[in-house]
Amino acid sequence: MKRFIKLYLAIIAALILFSGQVSHLTGAPAGAKAIPVIKVSVEDSSEATRVRISGGSNLDYNLKKSSESLVVTFRALSGLKLEKNAFTSQVIKSIDLAKSPEAYLLIIKTISPDFSYTSSARKNPFELNLNLKLKSGTAARETKPAETVPKNPPVKGKEVDRSVVNQAGEPASRVLDAGPFRKKDMKTIVIDPGHGGIEIGAKGNYGTLEKDVTLAVAKKLKERIEGELKYRVVMTRDSDVVVALDRRAAVANNNKADLFISIHANGSRRNNARGSETYFLSLNATDEESRRLAYFENNSGELENRLGEQDFDDLKLILWDMAQSAYLKQSSQLAEFVQGQLNQLLNTQNRGIKQAPFKVLTGVACPAILVEVAFITNPDEEKKLRSEEFQSQVAEALFGGLNEYFRLYEKP
Amino acid sequence: MKKNKSKNKKLRILLVLLVILAVLVMVFLFGSRKEKIKHESHSAGADQVAGKKAEITMKQVTLFFLSDNDGLLHPEEREIPESDINSEARAVVEELIRGPQTGLMAVIPGNTRLRQLFVTTDGLAYVDLSRQVTEANFYGSSGEMAVVYSIVDSLAYNFKSIKKVSLLIEGNERETLGGHVDLSNPFLPDYSLIAR
Repeated sequence: MKRFIKLYLAIIAALILFSGQVSHLTGAPAGAKAIPVIKVSVEDSSEATRVRISGGSNLDYNLKKSSESLVVTFRALSGLKLEKNAFTSQVIKSIDLAKSPEAYLLIIKTISPDFSYTSSARKNPFELNLNLKLKSGTAARETKPAETVPKNPPVKGKEVDRSVVNQAGEPASRVLDAGPFRKKDMKTIVIDPGHGGIEIGAKGNYGTLEKDVTLAVAKKLKERIEGELKYRVVMTRDSDVVVALDRRAAVANNNKADLFISIHANGSRRNNARGSETYFLSLNATDEESRRLAYFENNSGELENRLGEQDFDDLKLILWDMAQSAYLKQSSQLAEFVQGQLNQLLNTQNRGIKQAPFKVLTGVACPAILVEVAFITNPDEEKKLRSEEFQSQVAEALFGGLNEYFRLYEKP
Repeated sequence: MKKNKSKNKKLRILLVLLVILAVLVMVFLFGSRKEKIKHESHSAGADQVAGKKAEITMKQVTLFFLSDNDGLLHPEEREIPESDINSEARAVVEELIRGPQTGLMAVIPGNTRLRQLFVTTDGLAYVDLSRQVTEANFYGSSGEMAVVYSIVDSLAYNFKSIKKVSLLIEGNERETLGGHVDLSNPFLPDYSLIAR
């Protein structure tokens, strides 16, 4: 009898131990099931409002200011929990965690869009400190002109993000204006010569490199546009250097571009492939994304107008990653005009306008196209691409297309 | 006698407790679903060996290659050994790399190696290619589109369970093959590049 009691006790003890372990393993971290927790605390001082975000493991994050929100994006996480203490702050209205398909967004809403911030971070254990400060005299909410809404680039690169941090809170015009002569309504065109540096692009049989042709055509287009004194031109590169693809989109957005045109020379395995093609973005959207995008297409209008709305919808933030999706209609129109001009002027075989999921276009927050001038892998067209005359003709055709587009969208 | 009865009773309770314990252990060990993907991809090879031992039945698939005439993708039929989805999908991509047998053109650089391929339970196929796929000198927009969509369309067309395809290079995510097509999101098939 005594033996059994002992056995029972042993089994019960084992059970308790075991169940304790299970709850330990499922409840808290270890292995695949771990859900990281971030703790957020807020503290007001006379100088600034401090937000401290801490988490155990090393978290990868991006910072973006958007209207009256500051958004911390945590990427590539399977789960994230938010722990926050109740707080009262003169600057911060709320702090919430939202989820997009690829990331978790910590959305810090402030009482006014006119705030600046500084950030510092520490790895392992992760800690991110944000200091938010309202601009003097903006304690109350103001209606601000659309001009000051910073078009922050929807980019992932870290280097680029630094520049965003530096500019955030500054009035966009002060940082970004090219010179004193820029008229307020002057259109800005960003020209993106494809490839550069060690990224040579496609290569022709005679050794012509795509990166050289694209830069030559881009420079000619820049000259042509500036000759008319109507538009401001910004180049994503004006020498033979590597420029990351998301950096190119960032240049457009930082300069509040009205148009983005990426110039390329085509390549194919087929030597006889020929002609020019104009592309605009196609979305490789998952079901969830396409639903969201459909929402934006149906509620169309300019993206910045939407961002200026008072009841700022968290969903809209997610779209910075795919800013171009709001401009697909205009982009296809622009592509039509440019392709039409190319066909007319160059008498190249019409390959029509096309859609493709091009990396360089996804983050651009204005109408954007990618032009494949001709096939560098076709010996005849390669010869043409090398000639200055052909390059000038192409520039002329592109310019004609842009003008047609602006005429259509110009308000009387 | 009485003692014996109570002994039996206790033994039975003990047995029940042990069974409960065993069930708990099983649930704990095999409950995690996420781990399953790994197991499946590992067992793929074993399944194939078992299949070969028994009897090889062949299965017809359609591959898409480039046509020199119109620059579109055209179909070419091929027989591959019937097996599990991972092995069959693998065979399709390997045939694409090997190239066409009729008058069409190969799209993927011939020295490319298929490192790994597995299909998740929710229909996303990961195709992991060696770096040679990024080292072609014909990568303009058209060249890149042809490579990406010959793979994506061939997989989605032949396997209903494959809804999306994600391309990896040397086991890692990469921005593009040669500066154009965005590889960071999975691809849905685009049959507009196929000749009608």
